[in-house]
Amino acid sequence: MDLTSVKQTFLAEVVEVLQDMENILLTIESFPEDKDKINALFRSAHTLKGSAGMVGLEDVERFTHKMESVLDRLRKDEIHVSHDMVDLLLKCKDHVKELVECSNGDNLPDEARIDEARFVGYELSLGLAKYMPHDTSDETGTSGLRSYEGSGGTGASAVGAILASGAPAAWHISLRFGKNLLRDGMDPISTINYLSKLGEIVNLTAIDEALPKAEEMEPEDCYLGFEIDLDSSCDKATIEDVFEFIMDDSKILVTPSKSSKLTPAHPPAPVDAYVRMIEGLPEDSWMLGEILIRGGVLTRQEVEEAMKKQESEAGISGEKPLIGEVMVKEGIIKREVLNAALDKQQQARQRAFGQSRQQPVSSTIRVDAEKLDLLINLVGELVVANGGIKQWAENSGATRLMKTVSFMTKLVNDVRDMSMKMRMVPIEASFTRFQRMVRELGTELGKEIDLVISGGETELDRTIIEKVADPLTHLVRNSVDHGIETSRERLAINKPSRATLKLNAFYDAGTIVIEVSDDGRGLNKDRIRQKATEKGLIKPDAVLNERDLYNLLFEPGFSTASEVTKLSGRGVGMDVVKRNIEALRGEVDIESEEGVGTTVRIHLPLTLSIIDGFMVDIGKSLYVIPLDMVVKCFSLSRNDYLKVTSQNYFAFQGKPIPYICLNELFHETSRGGNCAHLVIVQYAGQKVALAVDNLLGDIQVVIKSLGKMYKDLDGVSGATILGDGAVALVIDVPGIIKTFQTAK
Amino acid sequence: MAKTIMVIDDSATIREVVKTTLHKSGYDVIEAQDGKDAINKLKGQKVHLMICDVNMPNMDGITFVKAVKQMPNYKFTPIIMLTTESQETKKQEGKEAGAKAWVVKPFKPETMIAAIEKLILP
Repeated sequence: MDLTSVKQTFLAEVVEVLQDMENILLTIESFPEDKDKINALFRSAHTLKGSAGMVGLEDVERFTHKMESVLDRLRKDEIHVSHDMVDLLLKCKDHVKELVECSNGDNLPDEARIDEARFVGYELSLGLAKYMPHDTSDETGTSGLRSYEGSGGTGASAVGAILASGAPAAWHISLRFGKNLLRDGMDPISTINYLSKLGEIVNLTAIDEALPKAEEMEPEDCYLGFEIDLDSSCDKATIEDVFEFIMDDSKILVTPSKSSKLTPAHPPAPVDAYVRMIEGLPEDSWMLGEILIRGGVLTRQEVEEAMKKQESEAGISGEKPLIGEVMVKEGIIKREVLNAALDKQQQARQRAFGQSRQQPVSSTIRVDAEKLDLLINLVGELVVANGGIKQWAENSGATRLMKTVSFMTKLVNDVRDMSMKMRMVPIEASFTRFQRMVRELGTELGKEIDLVISGGETELDRTIIEKVADPLTHLVRNSVDHGIETSRERLAINKPSRATLKLNAFYDAGTIVIEVSDDGRGLNKDRIRQKATEKGLIKPDAVLNERDLYNLLFEPGFSTASEVTKLSGRGVGMDVVKRNIEALRGEVDIESEEGVGTTVRIHLPLTLSIIDGFMVDIGKSLYVIPLDMVVKCFSLSRNDYLKVTSQNYFAFQGKPIPYICLNELFHETSRGGNCAHLVIVQYAGQKVALAVDNLLGDIQVVIKSLGKMYKDLDGVSGATILGDGAVALVIDVPGIIKTFQTAK
Repeated sequence: MAKTIMVIDDSATIREVVKTTLHKSGYDVIEAQDGKDAINKLKGQKVHLMICDVNMPNMDGITFVKAVKQMPNYKFTPIIMLTTESQETKKQEGKEAGAKAWVVKPFKPETMIAAIEKLILP
């Protein structure tokens, strides 16, 4: 079977299920009686076990089985939720992840890691065993006569193939279907059809003796029976297997036919045939019983009986007799057959030694991040080059050329989108990392905190996610450390003892917003003001609005020492947070209410390099405004224009918004268009009307940095090369909005 | 015309495995993630066979089988229960509810196909 898609689904599922588990585990202590949660936990372990089995990860299967057993007891109220148990299960969860990762690397995981995982697994198993009753010695459920055939049926394929070379045997089958057969959804025809795959049905007689009179007949009952003669090279178990689903209610008798030379009481083939067959088996199992069943010498039932016998004899003598000996003694098999099977077992063991280290092939490819960056760069160049060709084609007026070019443009765009997509990852993973941290930090500080995550599916550029991880950690730590009160403090001021810390992410006008908010004690404005005055950051009588005041927290050196904790909190390294975010062309702001809580909001650009832009001209130069920040464009009539310039604001959707003439800002000499057009842009909730000379339409641009010399240039964030080689500057909308605010 | 088989399992992996297996053997597949979802998707849909997990959220396999046996259009539809080795009692419960066939997880593709072929004609 093609396992590629399955494996991928499995990996995705593991991540999802483990996350669910963690989420439940982290809340279960608060609701130890919540049956739904416990059931969901059990189900998670159960699902993992089943799925791992399907993709052949036996380590994972075995380990999750142990977890499942403990959770099963929990579900049945045999044991109860405790702090230790939750900790253990959390560790188990991590271990499962490790196991899956170990088995999935492109590169073979190193020995040390595997050994480490084994050791951890062993320790955790011991931990789990504490929650199990002591009398169940074998909890693995995978030892003994475990068979991947499950329903037993397909030994047929292997054995059938081997036996096919030998002489076909004749069988007689008596079938009396159960009354409820049809009601159970069973179909006699399908059964016979399936049987015919095992050999040739030489003769079939329908038995209708059970058929009642027409008036007594229940139309939904089945009264049918068959006597069948089958020529088949299959063994008895395989044939019986055809009827496994109807066995319970129907009467089925499979006997070697009289036409064969076999004695009915014993297995239906001569001894040497069995020996040959066992020798020919593929080496994939080394259980003696299994080999014998495979070989068709015994049915599963007979082996199980023999094993029971073995157990009971062990009870008498104190040591287990060899199972093969038991079977010979019981007359189930002949000594020669046993010897052949034992040889086989030996052989299988030797083979298995060499095979155990084989790694499954993974379908995902890990690519060096540098290569990916290089690709994006190249795609950027390709987009630009394509723009150039497009322009030439349009100028040339050659229709066929234009057609081809437009098709190529579409392809280039697809390539661009796809390569951008390769870099986009959901933020979920970065968020959920905090579950553990918040829990552990909270316990340490005597705080009970629920971490609520939303918007985890929001995707953003991989580099951004990596770079935002540190600032985020800082913010979360700050919240837990300083923002949130201890449970006791909270109760004293009539707040619920459990605090809530929220992590949220969403798209807003082409930017990504990440929020970290808590319902802690909030910021104390007076203390901040006092502190800032002490540090000489502001004059004692300075008039500051809330936003400016909070922004002081981001000033380097605003707070460094331990008294910060006594002040209403934050400040530790906040300047670093701000610097990191700004390096990503992002913004941070704080909102807070004393006693109610604090929200820190991070605004980030979606991507770093290629953007859709809106081209305008101002004076003699071309400028590009990032399209995702553009809300609307207007052409102004002469009257409106005069009105707007005299008022210095523009009424947009009934609200006045600031009006900025870019012509003036950039000191361009106008060419008469004279700020006759407005572009409304929005960033971080702020709208501004930018006046430009002409609107030229949308364009894809690859942002190039202006280099160190111009890094502090106001109002411009980068430059781009257009298709015809001209250079356009990219307008730094956030920067302009900020400058405007400061100026005011 | 290809026969339609409904696969009901909360594990995407299992659904994917079954789906891939069945598609290869030429069956059409409808997926459902639990009993409730399955009953919603059954509405008026021709289904020749159902493959159903036991332990699922919202509506478990046993409840689902019982519900199907009450639906006039589907009560004769064969159902294969997906069980694990540890679920011997569940298998019995399933049989009593009306799902006589079962396949034990983890299974090989050919085991699944064999079970299906014992129940419906290709």
